[in-house]
Parts: sequence; C-alpha cells; structure tokens
Amino acid sequence: MTVRRLIIFIVMMMLGQASYAWAQDSEASSEYLIKAGYIYNFAKLVEWPATAFAQPDSPIVIGIVGNDPFGPIIDKVLEGKKVNGHPFLIKRLKPTADVKECQILFIGSSLGSHVADTIRLTRGTPILTISEIPGFADRGGIINLTLEQNKVRFEVNVDAAKEADLNISSRLLVLAKVIQQSGDGRKTE
Amino acid sequence: MKLQNLSIKRKLMLITMLTSSVALLLSSASFLIYDLISFRHLLTQDLETQAQIIGYNSAAAMAFKDEPVATATLAALKAKEDIVAAVLYTPDGKIFAQYVPGDKAAPAVVPPKLYRTGYRFEGGYFDVLHDVTLNGEHVGTLLLRSDMREWSRRAKRYALIFFIFVFASGLFALLLSSKLQRMISRPILQLEDTIRIVSANKNYEIRAENTYGDEIGRLMDGFNNMLAEIQQRDTALLNANDQLHARTEELEREVAQRQQAQEELLKAKHAAEEASRAKSAFLANMSHELRTPLNAIIGYSEMLEEETRESGNTEAIQDLQKIQTAGKHLLSLINDVLDLSKIEAGKMTLHLEIFDVPPMIRQIVTTLEPAATKNSNVINVRVAEGVDSMRADITKVRQILVNLVSNACKFTDSGTISVNVEPITAEGQDWIRFEVCDTGIGITPKQRKQLFQEFAQADTSISRKYGGTGLGLAISHRFAQMMNGHIDVESEPGKGSTFTVLLPVEVKSEGQESPSSETTLEPAKPPRPGASNQDTILVIDDDATCRDLMSRSLNKLGLNVILTGSGEEGIELARRMRPFAITLDVLLPDRDGWSVLHELKTDPELSSIPVIMLTIIDNESLALSMGASNYLVKPLDRERLAVLIEKYRAGRSSKSPNRNSSNRTAEKREELAPTKA
Repeated sequence: MTVRRLIIFIVMMMLGQASYAWAQDSEASSEYLIKAGYIYNFAKLVEWPATAFAQPDSPIVIGIVGNDPFGPIIDKVLEGKKVNGHPFLIKRLKPTADVKECQILFIGSSLGSHVADTIRLTRGTPILTISEIPGFADRGGIINLTLEQNKVRFEVNVDAAKEADLNISSRLLVLAKVIQQSGDGRKTE
Repeated sequence: MKLQNLSIKRKLMLITMLTSSVALLLSSASFLIYDLISFRHLLTQDLETQAQIIGYNSAAAMAFKDEPVATATLAALKAKEDIVAAVLYTPDGKIFAQYVPGDKAAPAVVPPKLYRTGYRFEGGYFDVLHDVTLNGEHVGTLLLRSDMREWSRRAKRYALIFFIFVFASGLFALLLSSKLQRMISRPILQLEDTIRIVSANKNYEIRAENTYGDEIGRLMDGFNNMLAEIQQRDTALLNANDQLHARTEELEREVAQRQQAQEELLKAKHAAEEASRAKSAFLANMSHELRTPLNAIIGYSEMLEEETRESGNTEAIQDLQKIQTAGKHLLSLINDVLDLSKIEAGKMTLHLEIFDVPPMIRQIVTTLEPAATKNSNVINVRVAEGVDSMRADITKVRQILVNLVSNACKFTDSGTISVNVEPITAEGQDWIRFEVCDTGIGITPKQRKQLFQEFAQADTSISRKYGGTGLGLAISHRFAQMMNGHIDVESEPGKGSTFTVLLPVEVKSEGQESPSSETTLEPAKPPRPGASNQDTILVIDDDATCRDLMSRSLNKLGLNVILTGSGEEGIELARRMRPFAITLDVLLPDRDGWSVLHELKTDPELSSIPVIMLTIIDNESLALSMGASNYLVKPLDRERLAVLIEKYRAGRSSKSPNRNSSNRTAEKREELAPTKA
C-alpha cells in the first residue's frame, strides 16, 4: 500500500511539473492536445485485423518512439477512452525496442532521418504509423500530421495502410490528403 | 325564400345534393387528411434518414474539426429543396458548420442543447435534431430544418383536386338527382294538377290517373276515394237543395196564404170595428130614442103628481111616485149605457173646472141619505184639513162618488158607511183620496178581479137581489183613469169593503179642453130691460110632448109661452116677439139646432137674449162655446129650469161663477141618483 501511495505521489508530482511546463508553452500544448485527440479519432476510423488483438478487450497500444511531443497530454486525453471495447495503452519506446506489439506507433520528429528504418520495422504487422515529420506519408508512413494555416491536417498513405492490412474508413479519407505512393520506391502506381 | 316553400322537386334535389355532397366531402376530407398525415410522416422519416446520413458523413469531419468538409457534406443537401437550413453544432453548442440555400439569411436557430434530439414543428418549419456520433461517441449535433414545401405543395394540389372532384361530382349528382327526383315529384305534380282542375272546375267526376304502387299511389287512391265521396255528397246535397227549394216554395205559398188570411182578418177586424162603432152609435141613438119617451113619462107623472096632490087624491100619489121612480131608474140605466158607449167610442171628454170639494161631498151625502136610511145605514163623513178645491171634471167625480156610496148603501144592511176625504202627496204630485168604507157583504178575491169590468157584477144573483146594471164601477173606473187617477178596492167577504179613489188635485187636460164655464155661465150680455118682453119665453122643440110639458110647467110660472117645432120659425118668432129667454132643442126637423143657435147669437138684435139649450145630446161644451147661456139635458129638471127662468126674467145674476158652476152640474146630475125620492 505504501508503495502505491508513493507511486501516486510521484505521478502527481510529475503531472504537476508537466502541467507547469504545458502552461509555459500553451500554444504548443494546444496543438498536441488536438493531435492527441486526432490519434484517438484515427483509432476509431481505422480497422485492425482480428489478429492484431489477443483478446477483444486487449488495449490498443500506442507506442511513442523518438521524442515525445505530447508529454502527459496524450495520457490525459486517452485515459478511460475505449474504441470498440479496446482501452488505450501508451508506451514510450526506445528506438531500438520491439514495435511489433504496438497497434499505433507515433514516431517523434527526432527520428527524422531514421524514419524509414523505423517504418521498416513495422512492416508485416498491422501497425498504424503516425508522425509529424514532413513527407512521412510519402516515405511509407501511413498518417502524417501536418499544419495547414495553423490547422492540424493529415495525409494518409492508403497503400501503406493496405500493406499493413489496415482498413481505413472512407470517412477519414475524405478528410485526408491521400497519398498513394509508398515509401522506399515501392510505389504501387 | 324559405326552405319549406321550395317545390318538392327542388327539395328532393337539395336533399340528394346535400347528402351526397356531405358524404363526398367527409370521405374526401378524411382520405385527404389521412394521406397528408401519412405523407408528412414519410417526409419526417425521410428527413430523419437524411439527418442520419448527413450526421454519419459529417461525424469524422466534426471529430477532426474539418469545417470545409463538414460544410461540403451539408451542401450535399442542395438537392433537397425543402431543406432551408442545416447546421452542425459542436458538443458545446457552437455552430461548427452550416448550410443555408439561396441567398436567404441563416435562420435564427435555437441552440440544440435546449432540446434533445428528435424532431419538432415550429413556426411552419420542421426541425430534426440528430446526434452526430463517431464510433458511439458524441461529436456534435445536426439540425435539419425543412419548410415542408413538398407537403404544402402536395396539400395544395390535393385541395385543387379535391375541389375539382367535389364540383364535378356535385354536378354529376345534380344531373342525376334532377333526373331521379321526377320519380317522386312527377306523381305529386300530377296529383296537384288534378286537384287544381277539380277545384277550379268544381268537377268532382275527374280522377287522378294512378299508375304507382307506392305511398303516392295510395295517396292518389285516397284522393280518388275522397273525390268519389264528395261527388256522392254533392249529389245528395243537390237533392237536398232541390227538396229545400220545393219546401221553400211550399212555405212561400203558405206565407202568401197566411198573408191573405191576415188581410182577410184585417178586413174582418175593420168590419168588426165598424160594427162596434155602429153598435155604439146604435146604443147612443137607442138611448136617445128611449130617453124621449121616458122624458114624457117622468114629466107627465110629475105633473100628475102635483095636480093629484092639489086635488087631494093621496092614493094616486104613491102610484105616480112609483112610476117616477121606475122611470128614473130606467133613465139611470140608459145613462150608464150611454156613458159606456161613449167611453168605448172614445167620445167621452173631460170638462175640467175648479171646484170646492167639501160642498160637493156634503151634497152627495145629502142626496144619498134616503138610500142609506132605507137599509138602516149610517153615513159618516170626515173631510180632512187641507182638502179644498180641485181641478177636475166635477160631473165625473161626483158620478164616481155617488156610485160608490150608493153601492155601499145598497150592499150594507144596518151598518156604517164611512166617507173619508184627505189630501196626500205621492210620486211628486198632490192627490185627493176619497175613501168609501162599508160594513157590508164584501167581495171575494175572485169577484174582485172582475169588479171593474163592464157588465160584471160580483155574482149574477146580485143583479137579481140588489138590482143595478153592473156598469157603475166600470164607468167609475174609466172616469178615474181618464183623470189620471185610479180606483182600488180592499175587501173581506162578510166584513165589508173599502173603495179608494185617488185623483190628482190638478187634473191635466188632454187635447182639447172644454172652454171655461166660468165666462159662459154668464149671459153674453145682460139683457136690456124693456127691450124684450119680460113675460114671454120662446120654446123651440121638435117634440110635441116636450113642447106640451114645457108649456105646462112654464105657464105655471106665469109666463107667456110661445111654442114652435121649427128652427126657422123660431128665429122668426124671436125677432118678432122679443122673448126674454129662448129654450132650444138640438134636433130639429128643418135645421140643426146648432145653426139656429149660431144665427141667434150672430144677430145683433137677438144676441142679447139668453138661450138655454135643452137637449138629449150631451154636448155642453159645444153649446157653451157657441154662446148658449145654459145647457140642460132632457128629461127636464123643472126646478132647475124654473131657477134659470127666474134669473133671466129678473135680468140679474148674483151668484159667483164657481158656485153657479157646481150648482148647475150638480143639479143636472141629480137625475143620476136612482134612489132620489
């Protein structure tokens, strides 16, 4: 019991620091609040194959590699949320870590140059790759978050999604800028 | 125009039209309403489907705050004309995207948080609120607002169709009903025509032609039966009328017959009246004719009595007196008959004069004293204070009273006869009441009824026992009536009777009044002494017996008597002899006594000679008016004549007119008293 109390205390302290940091940069936090919401919405509009989850109530694991621009925001946004019976589990991973257990992989912009390697890691597994690195979708990423006129928009590489055996709802595609060529010269058309 | 005055044709059409129109309207309206409701339901469902689709399509856009996409999605509603607004609201109620077709301003839409999802009608719009969800999560709310254009267009179209349909079907119903109503109206109109013809022509032989088996057919049958009945009755009535005519003619004939009978009756009545007059005239003449010989009988018996008394033959005197009594009784009977016939003939007149009542009563009582003594009766007279003079026909008053008192004497034996006179006032008039009471045999109520009728004595046996004509009371009754008075009687058989005569103090004259006797009693002019022969008297009489009697009695007075039977000669003698007085009979052989009187009185030389009328005819008033000095009725009262002669002979007049008058009439009527000794 005392251990748990300690943990809560620590988390609280960390949250307090985080909120402090978010307050310092409210504009940036607002952007990532939106982006976190987007990730949540993407989860709603993307269909994973049944094999992706061990159990029907297995969590959707969101792995964050590279730098974490969300901080505690994404945890806050996704806390208690469920999509089709799946809760969310956010994991912050080292670039070398195994990403195959993730359903969503957010690739931080710090991995800018190594993004292709990271994408390659996900190949063959139904992992929705999301990044905000410009040209991410063109390079084989599935969803790339962009900023247009101060608004968060996104690009979707439908071929990459297909390759990852992910079914992306047409409703999402209507909103997205659809990219139909995969990265690594493996263009479909 | 009132509904009830409409013709049957119109009524039927109206009924048909109304019924069909109402049915049509109701069914059409219910169909229409049902259709419009279900159409609206459809529209609502449609709109909700739209909302679902739009909501679904815009859910992602809402989630990703992609306003252009959301707006584009809403713009897809452009195809739906009835959508006037589509708005997407964020969960916190802000407008996220909206669509407003055309250049219309965005409608003021109530923020959806005020009402939950669902739909509502408001202000002519139909609003659908749809919950926009993304994977079960509420991401916004969609509002779709429709103006239900489709619905109202449909309603309008339906209304048009409805009205056309109703109008057309109404027209069709009108056509149909105007054809079909004849089924009912035609027989009724036929019946009406028949009725009109029947009542216009009064021809009940016409029948309504009946080819219908329904109620109207029965009505026609009934009408025909009624006509038959009427016709039958009409015939019966005509027959009755004919009978009535016949009966009327019969009645008319009867009336004519009756009229004839009536005329005959009238003739008979006139004849009877004529006969009655003739009878009266006959009676008068008879009396006159009877009086003349009676005159002689009484006159001669009186003279004989006087002569016999002088010669001392007392035995003969009694016989002569019996003759006189019998004669006078007969005379009274004749006088009664004469009076009655005069009354009946309407020739009895009143000679009104003023006279004193008490002396008259005394005189009557004195006159009747012998009659009372004869039956051992006592007469009590009581004249009340205030009884003075009265104005009446003294002759008739006296006659009434004499009659009553003498009757009382006659029917009373050893009793008392009371004569009471008193003034009374009744009915605003002064009267004198004469009451004659006796203690005699009295009168039964049955007898009383007939008492004042002519020729009716209380009992026929009475005339045998007591004598009398039975005319006395009848005459008295008539006389009293003539003077506006009356006679009444109260009686108890065996105890006595009371006769009451009520006469006005002042009797009003009716019609002609006899000239006042006051002046005429006086000689027109006093005779001129010396101018006439003081001892000569002229007697003009057609009856030789009468002349003889006159001559004898006047000779006794020591007069020189000139006799003549002719009027002409009488006038001649009067001129020549200048008598101091003339006696004149009315009935003369050569000329009327009246004309002789007239001539005498108009001759200046002769007018001063007093003329004493001496006649059987009772017309004193005429005589006096023509200038006669006196009027004496036969049979002659010689004492009275003697007094007059003495008066004129001396050429003086000393008595007062009133006294003179009462005396004269009293003397004249003394003859009436049958029992006068």
